[in-house]
Amino acid sequence: MQVTTWKKLLSVAVLSATTAVCSAEEVTIYGVKSLSGSFASYGKFADMGSKLAVEEYGDLLGSPVKYEAIDTEGNAGKAVRKVQEAISQDGALFFNGATLSSTALAIGKEVDKAGGVFMTPAGADELTGTDCNMATFRWSVPTYGAIHETVEPLIKAHPEWKRWYTITPQYVFGEALLSNAEAVFEAEGIEHVGNSYHSLQEQEFSGYLTNAMAAKPDVLLLLNFGGQSSNALRQAVNFGLKNEMKILVAWSSGLDQLQELGPDVAEGVYFGAQYWHTVETPMNNELVKSVREAYDMAPNYPMAADYIGTKVILDAIAKAGSTDGAAVAKALEGTVYQGPTGEETVRAADHQVLKDYYLLEGKAASEMQDEDDFAEIISSGESFPDESSLDCTRS
Amino acid sequence: MSLYLFQALNGIGLGMIYFLISVGLTIIFGLLNFVNFAHGAYYLLGSYLCFTLVSLTGNFWLALVVAPVAVAMLAWVTEKTLIRRAYHLPHTFHILITLGIALIIQELSIAVWGPIGKTVAVPEALSGVFRMGDFFYPKYRLFVILFTAVIAVGLWLLLERTRFGALVRAGSEDAETVSLLGTHIHKLFALTFALGVGLAGLAGVLAAPIRGVHPFIGPEVLGLAFVVVVIGGMGSFSGALVGGLLVGLVQSMMTTIWPQGASLMIYGAMAVVILLRPYGLFGRA
Repeated sequence: MQVTTWKKLLSVAVLSATTAVCSAEEVTIYGVKSLSGSFASYGKFADMGSKLAVEEYGDLLGSPVKYEAIDTEGNAGKAVRKVQEAISQDGALFFNGATLSSTALAIGKEVDKAGGVFMTPAGADELTGTDCNMATFRWSVPTYGAIHETVEPLIKAHPEWKRWYTITPQYVFGEALLSNAEAVFEAEGIEHVGNSYHSLQEQEFSGYLTNAMAAKPDVLLLLNFGGQSSNALRQAVNFGLKNEMKILVAWSSGLDQLQELGPDVAEGVYFGAQYWHTVETPMNNELVKSVREAYDMAPNYPMAADYIGTKVILDAIAKAGSTDGAAVAKALEGTVYQGPTGEETVRAADHQVLKDYYLLEGKAASEMQDEDDFAEIISSGESFPDESSLDCTRS
Repeated sequence: MSLYLFQALNGIGLGMIYFLISVGLTIIFGLLNFVNFAHGAYYLLGSYLCFTLVSLTGNFWLALVVAPVAVAMLAWVTEKTLIRRAYHLPHTFHILITLGIALIIQELSIAVWGPIGKTVAVPEALSGVFRMGDFFYPKYRLFVILFTAVIAVGLWLLLERTRFGALVRAGSEDAETVSLLGTHIHKLFALTFALGVGLAGLAGVLAAPIRGVHPFIGPEVLGLAFVVVVIGGMGSFSGALVGGLLVGLVQSMMTTIWPQGASLMIYGAMAVVILLRPYGLFGRA
């Protein structure tokens, strides 16, 4: 009789424990990163940022948060296939990352169909414009802000720089930067003395730089990104253009790009940046400390972007109190939080995070205070199109 | 000086760099009938070794000598242990083996040097530019053109006017007969493979201050080298020179005439050459 009672008590205890475990919703964040292929240098740091955010977060909805990386291989087609697999096989709902705009646009559509949430740092205006959807949120400042926060401050500080030449990659991202730059030139009475388009595969810029020399501009504005902007700048310095004109890289990748170029190339060059590790904000101070402890380095843009992108999704899940994608997306809309660049706001109308963009000037090697002190911030601010002029018309 | 004239001069400079990038590939194919898809990876290795040597010693000239020799020695070892077993196999095997080597070199480079690219400074003696009217031309690029011209002449003499060259050319036609005449044909082929790969390493060193170094530069270089070699004719030394110059000129001139099509026109030129001369300008059926 006594044995039967014990058995009953044990059964009740096991059943209670099982129920408790089942009621806890396990949260998995899927990091969509280019861990191999041409953009692996970006994806590896982005992955480190997401991992750190998850490790620091602890428990969420009663369980530890899990992290799974999806290697996009820098290829939109492969990325979409892997994301579809994660959605259909694992029930994945929460995604963060994507280096390339084409990848981010494609993934955003898949996650939207699945009713999930996707936070990306990719640049194309369409992400929060014509191709916006309920699932997609974007942390980085789009091309409008990148141009307004770099070209405008330079024109205001140096009204004597009247003649500008642009070198532009001919795809959606470059065209968006160029059209924004042309609008600023027109508004500020700047003479746009020429533009050279180049293909997305181009790595040899001597011909385009020759075109720029012939136009005799005061400022050379580079509208390309990543390896292309590094090579264009490196070759411009080889050709002695730094002594003949000012050079602005409107969309740099920040610290990792300056580490690649070194102070000899970067000195006196202006760079637009989404993030810089010396920004004095409470959250950034914490981030710098965490990254130093975890990886013994200063955080760079991909790391910071995917750290905050992951953390913001986790916070929204906590706020929603569930893993329902629609509820989490709703919780994200309008959220104001302390981010790496200070107070950041998720605009409900287009899911764009409103944050600062930075204009940096490269330092000489002799002026560097530490191994990462490649540039100083000479201006920063928020520039976004008004809500009334947004192209986002999602239902 | 007019813009077009300067673009033509720039195109010749680019063409010499493209010749250097592709000549090793064409030598290996022409003399060994071996397709080396690891050519870009050996270029990459030359660039990274240059970066390391310049970082450690500050001496670019040392890197210019040591890095290509080190790459050639690695190629010699690879040839003795792996490549020579594949000479008699169809080209698909050559491609598979060398793609594998390329991936190993690329991933090892990331493990050793990290995913972030590197910059190699132009040597102090060659920093600065020559002014030509409204235009400037880097002294370093001019040095690369002259240096490559010397290399081209030296290579031609080696392959056409020396006993070594004659034996290699004879070996590529009939290895067995050359071997029966008392020449160590395997040693000859190993040296030829090392020479071709060493030239890829040399191109990597010379291009490092111009294009920087990053782990994924190999496939880009390989693609360019194949375009030059296809235009010039697979296996033709003169073809690599003419093909390189043609590609450089087309690319440079097109950046002024139709900038967005500059890269496209390289492949356009290749398509035209294939249509008119399927074996390339200097190729043999």
